[in-house]
Amino acid sequence: MLLNVTNLLSGYGNVRIVNDVSFSAAPNEIVAIIGRNGVGKTTLMKSLVGLISCAGGKIEFKSTDVTRMSAAKRARLGIGYVPQGRGIFTRLSVGDNLRMGEKVGNSSSSKNFDRVFEFFPILKERQNQKAGSLSGGEQQQLSIGRILVGSPELILLDEPSEGVQPNIVQEIGRIIRRLRDDEGLTVVIVEQNLDLIYAVADRCIVMDKGTIVAELTANELREPDVARRYLAI
Amino acid sequence: METFAEIFGIAYQLFDNIGFLVLSASGLIIIFGMMGVINMAHGELMMIGAYITAFSYHAGIPAPIAIIFAGIGAGLVGMVLERLVIRHFYKQLLSSLVVTWGLSLMISQTFLIVFGPSILNVPTPFGSFPVGDQTFGIYRMVLFAVAVMMVASVWAIFAFTKFGTRARATMENPDMANALGVNTGNIYALTFGLGCALGGVAGGMFALTATISPFFGINYTPLAFITVVVGGGGNAITGLISSVLSLAGIQTAVNNVVNVYVGYVAMFGAALVILLALPRGISDYLEQRKIRVRKASSRENSS
Repeated sequence: MLLNVTNLLSGYGNVRIVNDVSFSAAPNEIVAIIGRNGVGKTTLMKSLVGLISCAGGKIEFKSTDVTRMSAAKRARLGIGYVPQGRGIFTRLSVGDNLRMGEKVGNSSSSKNFDRVFEFFPILKERQNQKAGSLSGGEQQQLSIGRILVGSPELILLDEPSEGVQPNIVQEIGRIIRRLRDDEGLTVVIVEQNLDLIYAVADRCIVMDKGTIVAELTANELREPDVARRYLAI
Repeated sequence: METFAEIFGIAYQLFDNIGFLVLSASGLIIIFGMMGVINMAHGELMMIGAYITAFSYHAGIPAPIAIIFAGIGAGLVGMVLERLVIRHFYKQLLSSLVVTWGLSLMISQTFLIVFGPSILNVPTPFGSFPVGDQTFGIYRMVLFAVAVMMVASVWAIFAFTKFGTRARATMENPDMANALGVNTGNIYALTFGLGCALGGVAGGMFALTATISPFFGINYTPLAFITVVVGGGGNAITGLISSVLSLAGIQTAVNNVVNVYVGYVAMFGAALVILLALPRGISDYLEQRKIRVRKASSRENSS
């Protein structure tokens, strides 16, 4: 397993939000985490990244215990994070935003820039523009492109479809699949957009009230009453 | 010839006033303008720079090298202060004000106890030159040149180096920078240290023109803050330039029409008026305007 989470507890201060979560992601796998708003998906992601410290449990990445490791060290070990709201440095140029990803996976080369520009041609055109002037979809591409400048092995995507127009969501879905198929990357994606989940996920983990309540295949999720039950659609 | 001497005199004063404001504010533009820390001890770091310069000079080290030592010394002190004290007060304007004010009192009182109320001054180098029937000190123009060089190098560091990119990213969104592998603690300490080093160099430069005492810094902290606040947070460099030009311009003009004291008061008056009209400072106003203009033109293009 590339990522192994066991009995994870975390939250803000004394408020426990993620409660006893265990799951894993194999190399070359796309795992989707779904659930209604406020069930702890983003808190779980931030705990995996290291932006929230864990109150208990264990996170292992590439067989290394990273539970107490700083976010910066986890990133250099190969965890690439695309946060909810994209986390773009709005006052930096697009090019500088991309260069900020160089440390992910602790290797940088100009070849990675070429790969990013091949995935997202718009970023090449806009290199010298302030990132804050990009549209939502372009910012999402920048946020994903930024970690690909480094060499991540695990990508954590938090609601990449949020505030992005449908054709860009499809494009993002295609790119996620290519990252898995061509580059052998592992992806954990938090998402509410069912079309994107159907398009990419190998496996779906359903969260409710901070814990995992079900594990489904993407096909099982296609059954209308299953989706309704877990996502209140 | 007389009118030339008069015009030259006014221009000289303007450059002198610009150099003075830029040097006073150059470190604070990073610490307050970029990092958002109200560092009331900034003048005391300049004072430390002045002491290092004076002691090195009297130990036989040439003045330019003594001033570089001042920058290194103040920068190191700044990094220690950041790690021990300042980093606990980011994003807490009022607390950082009180804490750094306390630091400023502690530093100046310590220097008073250790070194006494004053130390041997350093002579002003380079002499002077005459224009008409007036003479002008050459060192004042050196101050101006160094001020311009310091602003240019700060701009170059933040615009073109990897450290600069990481520092700007960290100031905007520390969590995201951290999640991309940047050790943000180091970035904060280095950035704060760089601001203090610039303050130390400025203090070292001023040490050659002023009486050096433990309360040396009091002359500079308020001016530095006014310059930075009038400049605003939109863009540190354009803010500094626009604020210094307007403040020094008004000071020089009133200075020549009335007298030195009214000129000084007029500068504070100008700062007040500018902040009443543009509460977020000049550069913020310019940035907002640029965004408005761009939005308006893109609306025209799309329609």
